[in-house]
Amino acid sequence: MSEALALQVVLWLPLAGMLAIAAVPAGAPGRVRAIAFWVMVLQFVLTAWLYARFDAAATGVQFATRVPWIAEWGVYFSIGLDGYNVLLVLLTGFLGPLVVAGSFTAVDKELKLFYAMVLLIQFAMMGTFLAQDLFVFYVFWETMLIPMFLLIGIWGGPRRIYATLKFVLYTAFGSILMLAALIYLVYAANQAGVDSYAIADLYRLKLPPDVQAWLFAAFALSFAIKVPMFPLHTWLPDAHVEAPTTGSVILAGVLLKMGTYGFIKLGFPLFPAATLQFASWILVLSVASIVIGACLALVQDDIKKIIAYSSISHLGYVMLGLISLDLIGIQGAIVQMVSHGLTAAGLFLVVGMIYERCHTRELAAYGGLAKLVPLYSVAFMILTLASIGLPTTSGFTGEFLVLLGAFRSAWGQHLGGDSFALVPTVVAVTGVVLGALYMLRFAASFLFGPSRAPVARLADVNRREASILAALIAAIFWLGLFPDEPMRKTEAAAREMQQLVTAARGTSVQAGSTR
Amino acid sequence: MNWGAFLVGMLPEHILLGGLLLLIVQAIVSDSPRGPAAASIVIVAGAALAALWLAVTGVQAVPFPGQVSVTPAVSYGKAIALALALPVLLLARDDLGDGGPLYPLLVSSLYGLALMLSSDSFLTLFLGLELLSLPVYAMVLLGLKRESSPEAALKYLVLGGAATATFLMGVSLLYGQSGTLALSTFSKALGSPYSLAVGGCALVLLAFFLKAAIVPFHAWAPDAYDGASIPVTAYMAAVVKAGVLLAAVRLVAEAPLSPVITGLLTALPLLSIVWGNLAAMKQPGLRRMLAYSSIAHAGYLFLAFLGTGPQRHGALLFYLLVYGLMTVLALAAVPADADDGRRDRLELLQGLYQRQPFAAIVLGLAMLSLAGIPPLPGFVAKFVIFREVMAAGHTAVAVAGLVGSYLGLYFYLRVIQLTFMGPQPQAAVGALPMRSAAWAAAWLCLLPLLVLTFLPGWVLARL
Repeated sequence: MSEALALQVVLWLPLAGMLAIAAVPAGAPGRVRAIAFWVMVLQFVLTAWLYARFDAAATGVQFATRVPWIAEWGVYFSIGLDGYNVLLVLLTGFLGPLVVAGSFTAVDKELKLFYAMVLLIQFAMMGTFLAQDLFVFYVFWETMLIPMFLLIGIWGGPRRIYATLKFVLYTAFGSILMLAALIYLVYAANQAGVDSYAIADLYRLKLPPDVQAWLFAAFALSFAIKVPMFPLHTWLPDAHVEAPTTGSVILAGVLLKMGTYGFIKLGFPLFPAATLQFASWILVLSVASIVIGACLALVQDDIKKIIAYSSISHLGYVMLGLISLDLIGIQGAIVQMVSHGLTAAGLFLVVGMIYERCHTRELAAYGGLAKLVPLYSVAFMILTLASIGLPTTSGFTGEFLVLLGAFRSAWGQHLGGDSFALVPTVVAVTGVVLGALYMLRFAASFLFGPSRAPVARLADVNRREASILAALIAAIFWLGLFPDEPMRKTEAAAREMQQLVTAARGTSVQAGSTR
Repeated sequence: MNWGAFLVGMLPEHILLGGLLLLIVQAIVSDSPRGPAAASIVIVAGAALAALWLAVTGVQAVPFPGQVSVTPAVSYGKAIALALALPVLLLARDDLGDGGPLYPLLVSSLYGLALMLSSDSFLTLFLGLELLSLPVYAMVLLGLKRESSPEAALKYLVLGGAATATFLMGVSLLYGQSGTLALSTFSKALGSPYSLAVGGCALVLLAFFLKAAIVPFHAWAPDAYDGASIPVTAYMAAVVKAGVLLAAVRLVAEAPLSPVITGLLTALPLLSIVWGNLAAMKQPGLRRMLAYSSIAHAGYLFLAFLGTGPQRHGALLFYLLVYGLMTVLALAAVPADADDGRRDRLELLQGLYQRQPFAAIVLGLAMLSLAGIPPLPGFVAKFVIFREVMAAGHTAVAVAGLVGSYLGLYFYLRVIQLTFMGPQPQAAVGALPMRSAAWAAAWLCLLPLLVLTFLPGWVLARL
């Protein structure tokens, strides 16, 4: 099978699975689960094979398919793997079967619709990452809204309607402005003789700085809501708390990467002059996300909220790495994206497992679980340490590289006479301490101390749950111990983005200060 | 008169007229309850196919020079408007049984629509417009199951009369200025600075705003949509609106617009978008909600008039096709119940998914598409419109329109929230299954929906 065809299969397989599930008669829950699971497994096998075949030395899009879609306007249905998306596609494919397996016992109503929506969102997320055409990107980007809206709204907690509407209305507001900017961007490209929606073609566009600033503002708002960055983060805790475990895992594992992926793939390289112009703002907001997210995580009583706020903090690191515009920082940001996907998905899964048994997420209701459920506690502790960023885990690789890159960039600017970036970068380091503080506070009261559980007999993880956690932990150590190989595959893209943005230095407002 | 062009170019009209006579004769000689429904479906389908054939083969004909002319673009418009009437006819079989005089009224209204779309002078246009509208006033009364129906019909009639008067006033001003009734005087007058021309154009435009329910001339729409029976609501929303918009775009053509007219074509549609979307949030019934939704959609459609590119006509056709299909689809999915007034109350949709998954999914797809969420075709439709506006240099208008469309998201989502996430209602209401013809109507809308979703480029290239 050719790679391009395999990539098509990776994209369309979940949709085919959805149709298969629709055809299953009601009252056969086993078959619905089996279809969803094996579709996801097959998809992961194919993504893993494609990842292995991905050539790190080559630049540009690989295994691409390009079919005319709305030929009149120059819209092509164009997908392919490149350095920006290769790791995220692998992450999405990897989490797919785990998400499905993790929901086997948690969901019992409207089973067909549930798995149909899980597969639909998998399709939309894959499509968003793989899209190489701006129109196709937007279509997939928005398609993600619908299944998430239903996942939270139908299978969520008591305040699910409020949470899901908040989620959709928040993200859709950013999207509508992005749509306006997108239409204008393509119109401007048209005027400049680039009659195409292909992202690679639009990179070459040299728009005047004031136009770039407006367009960047619209794209960045949409991405910043999705990340989410402080102060646009308020939808996330509600969505996470009310979502069913599956929804939280998808949200934390993959969906939260969309915003940062949008910045690295579109926001920064499409509007380099505007990126440089707004760089200090983004830097400050990233650091604010890190510190404020961590501080908020420190005071939560709801287990899910702790992880939700920790996500805001961790994604702040990703933004910090990206805006450093330093090769190491960008590479670190990509690793941090994957690492957060693994650890946050894992943490939401373990929280979901305990919630399934005890039906409460009150932190105070638990204590000393290490004695009651030892296997569970080991997994929990490993995930916690990975989230803090202990060496040998993926979290360390990501955070360390991000901070290294941020310091190199800030110091470079300092030597160039602009010391502004030093202060926020130093403040960002406190996030590491705060991160250790809130996660260890959480783990300490959860796992140690006097034993306390809401139910009398707490069962340890069963074989299905243990396998899910083992797979996640293996991936966390793989990325922590051998980051070299995945990072080689993303290097070309990271370098391309860095060069695209820094090439605009000569024309930007900050030109004088950085030279 | 040119006989060859008359016979071929006006084939859809001939089929409709012949069918109308047939329906009248049938009503006299036979009392079979199913007869008129089946006959009218065949007639309208035949006329739609004839129009499609004319469009695809690219027939250009001038049956009556200066009065009626046919181009492929016109034929596509006719084909789409006539095809949208087909699911409406299926719905009518369910809701009105033998339908009484509905079928001849509907077919004669379609005849007026076809005539209007190919008119070349204000005389023919007026004839077509009235022939389109007059039967609809009577059709609103047909679902006379509630006290509000006559009031709705009267309101519709009076405001329709006001539109007619405004239209004629504008035309007489234009005639006074140019001395001719040819439609081209309108497009010439659009860019003219003379007050007589500007006044005439403004009055004619206002008449179309009234017919298409643009704020502040929208007040009849919610009452009429709510007072009529469901198939008539679908007819007004999908077919009549398509006819009015296509006639308006024929009038405006590709003429440059004077500042006053540009202002008119910017301010009122934007107001419609914002007010329609805001007011829709508070409506208790699905049809009143769809009425406000149609007010907002009329706003998007009129914004497209700012565009001057050659693709504008195709963009409008695409939008009207998608909008019409989705509105009919939504109305087809309304659960069957004792009477129309009870049927469409929003709280009765609660938990619809548990009772009738197919109806709930269909309704959900219609709502998402009307809201313009990709990958549903409502998104591409919105995209083509705002692309036109942006390309014409009206960036701020396009941004305002898009932000206005965001306001509409909430009430469309609320329907999905009720059907999928709501608790079961206490009483066993809306428990009847979808009736067979409504089911067929839903599929008749769903299949084109699939094509429009996956192959929008294929459709757009042909319009």
